Amino acid sequence: MEKSGPPAREGEHWMSLEGGADGSPNGAPYTSRFVGIGASLPERRLTSDELMASTKHRTGIDLERLTGVRERRIAGEDEDSYTLAVGAARNALAYADCAAEDLDMVIVSSISHYVGGLRWQLDPPLSILVKEAIGARRAVSFDISNACAGMMTGTFLLNDMIRQGRIRRGMVVSGEYISQLGVNAALEVRTMMDDQLASLTVGDAGAAAILERAPDGAPGIEVAGFTTLAEHSRLCLAFPARVGRGAAMYSDARTLQEVGIEDTVPMLREALNQAGLEFDDIDYFIPHQTSARAIHKGVKEFSESMGGTPKHVVVTVDEFGNTSSTTHFVALWKYLREGRFAKEDRVLLLSIASGLEVGIVIFKVDQLVGRYGHDH
Amino acid sequence: MGTIIEASATARAAAHRRSLTPGALELADAAARSCLERAERTADELDLLINAGVYHDRILSEPAFASLIQEDIGANLSHPEVAGHGTFSFDVYNGACGVLTGISLVDGMLASGTVKLGMVVASDMDPEPGISEGFSFPGVGGAILLSADDFRAGFTAFRFATFPEFAELFHSAVDWQDNARGGPAGPGRNVLTVEIAESYVGRALDCAESTVHELAHAQALDLGDVDRLIATTSVPGFADGLATRLGVSAELVASLPDGLARAHTAAPLVALESAALEPGSTTLFVSAGAGITVAVALYRA
Repeated sequence: MEKSGPPAREGEHWMSLEGGADGSPNGAPYTSRFVGIGASLPERRLTSDELMASTKHRTGIDLERLTGVRERRIAGEDEDSYTLAVGAARNALAYADCAAEDLDMVIVSSISHYVGGLRWQLDPPLSILVKEAIGARRAVSFDISNACAGMMTGTFLLNDMIRQGRIRRGMVVSGEYISQLGVNAALEVRTMMDDQLASLTVGDAGAAAILERAPDGAPGIEVAGFTTLAEHSRLCLAFPARVGRGAAMYSDARTLQEVGIEDTVPMLREALNQAGLEFDDIDYFIPHQTSARAIHKGVKEFSESMGGTPKHVVVTVDEFGNTSSTTHFVALWKYLREGRFAKEDRVLLLSIASGLEVGIVIFKVDQLVGRYGHDH
Repeated sequence: MGTIIEASATARAAAHRRSLTPGALELADAAARSCLERAERTADELDLLINAGVYHDRILSEPAFASLIQEDIGANLSHPEVAGHGTFSFDVYNGACGVLTGISLVDGMLASGTVKLGMVVASDMDPEPGISEGFSFPGVGGAILLSADDFRAGFTAFRFATFPEFAELFHSAVDWQDNARGGPAGPGRNVLTVEIAESYVGRALDCAESTVHELAHAQALDLGDVDRLIATTSVPGFADGLATRLGVSAELVASLPDGLARAHTAAPLVALESAALEPGSTTLFVSAGAGITVAVALYRA
């Protein structure tokens, strides 16, 4: 039976969308822009070969060949979700050249909430601790959770509030201490089809983004959009592990990847239409970093459907693994520090996350490059 | 244009014991469905669904609990061939202030026109009865449906404040406990522990009182004009204590029913069930939670 769907309302979109063509506020009084992207990466590295050598069962899985993940960062003894978030927040403040007291809002968007090692804090929210640690005393704070789309969801919320003039400046920050997923999976994984295979690809990282009201006429976020296609909500579940400290994650990664790519095509089209853009107007395409193979397959299918290809596709999963809610912003931070962007470049961030969440943010890099010493 | 309450509803574990095995998800689902029914709305009309509950079944951390609720109530599950609008769902964690935080986020997105109809759902349930330590919150869920109205004021002000010096008075975490005796539990297990200090209520009252006065000052609100006080903090005695401090008559306090005095995130919605918000009336919502965090909202029906 063909699905009829709900009745269309005038001018509506499937996604909840903010923004419009040519960077115009599209009905809102202001435009928002990123002014600082920060990250905090543990020093310790763990290669895929080392991780697979630690599995309890002989699996025969060549994880690096299968996923493209060569290594990932692993939190040290004094690191956890909280410390990684605080480190990233301070780093972002330094690039944004603003004081923590200037923040009107702090949103913590980690999936993991480990404080004091592998101790998962539920109450009080992590945002209270982060806000206090960085000295953002004026800021309204709360936590959100939206799987690997957490930071993108926070960006979506801040963008909406800045565009309306409700706040002037806000931070979204995540600290993901998730490498224990791999430790627990290594005790149980037996084959390539195991539902904990994706847990072996993750790595630890903190990331933060500061958004603020752009001066009149200055470029910034052109379009931000989100939707949840909840028929797939149970394809990936994570909860405290039975085999040891920390959490365990069980996913049907193959199906998640297939439906994620298929369902994202109409959303990409909608967001690009809203921005008055074609897919090949995008200079840098930064998708969620799950595996190199999934990224390349997705880009191929998106390009065939959209009739164009972004100029650059960003892949960092080889170096950092899947760092969950932080992946887009760790990639942005790395490319900004390495001077890869030009001022006029346009970036598209794409979240495809458990839920199934599809989130898109399109923005002009502009002044960000100067903040990282590459004003050319 | 104001953000108005179209409907609210609750679901109690005790009331559903015969038909459900009421975990937090089933309670949230039941409350959400009941809320939509009261408003004569369909799930597909929802643009935004925010879950503010904290204590989930199995202490699930992924996906967002809201996406499970969205699937269960059948809100725009997949992209149809024809034009339509979807539902966006995610979780907000702000302890006992989560519902008011969620309402403020819906209020913002209604004002910007990003969404037209939003729901905040909250529910809590002991994830492992008999294993968890110190868990005293009753199983209850609540939902509130919000939309924009050109002619009614609705929610006119929000104020949030945090008092991190009292962060240790209300604390909960999941941590590994070794099992020295071995047995079915193996070498150990992850256990939820909730700790609320006796001094918490008094400090929460102090924090809430000062935050209410800040809002009243900023909004030129005479607290004598408040027609209804909905005040909750996950432990008994808070609402009456706050009413006394604010000079609000005890008769205007929306009370929690027997057995739900310790309701956690859904508490404001449980209290709202007992409070008829007459047209033209002024309601003051006050929530205090771990942190200590205080959320205050002013609603003009």
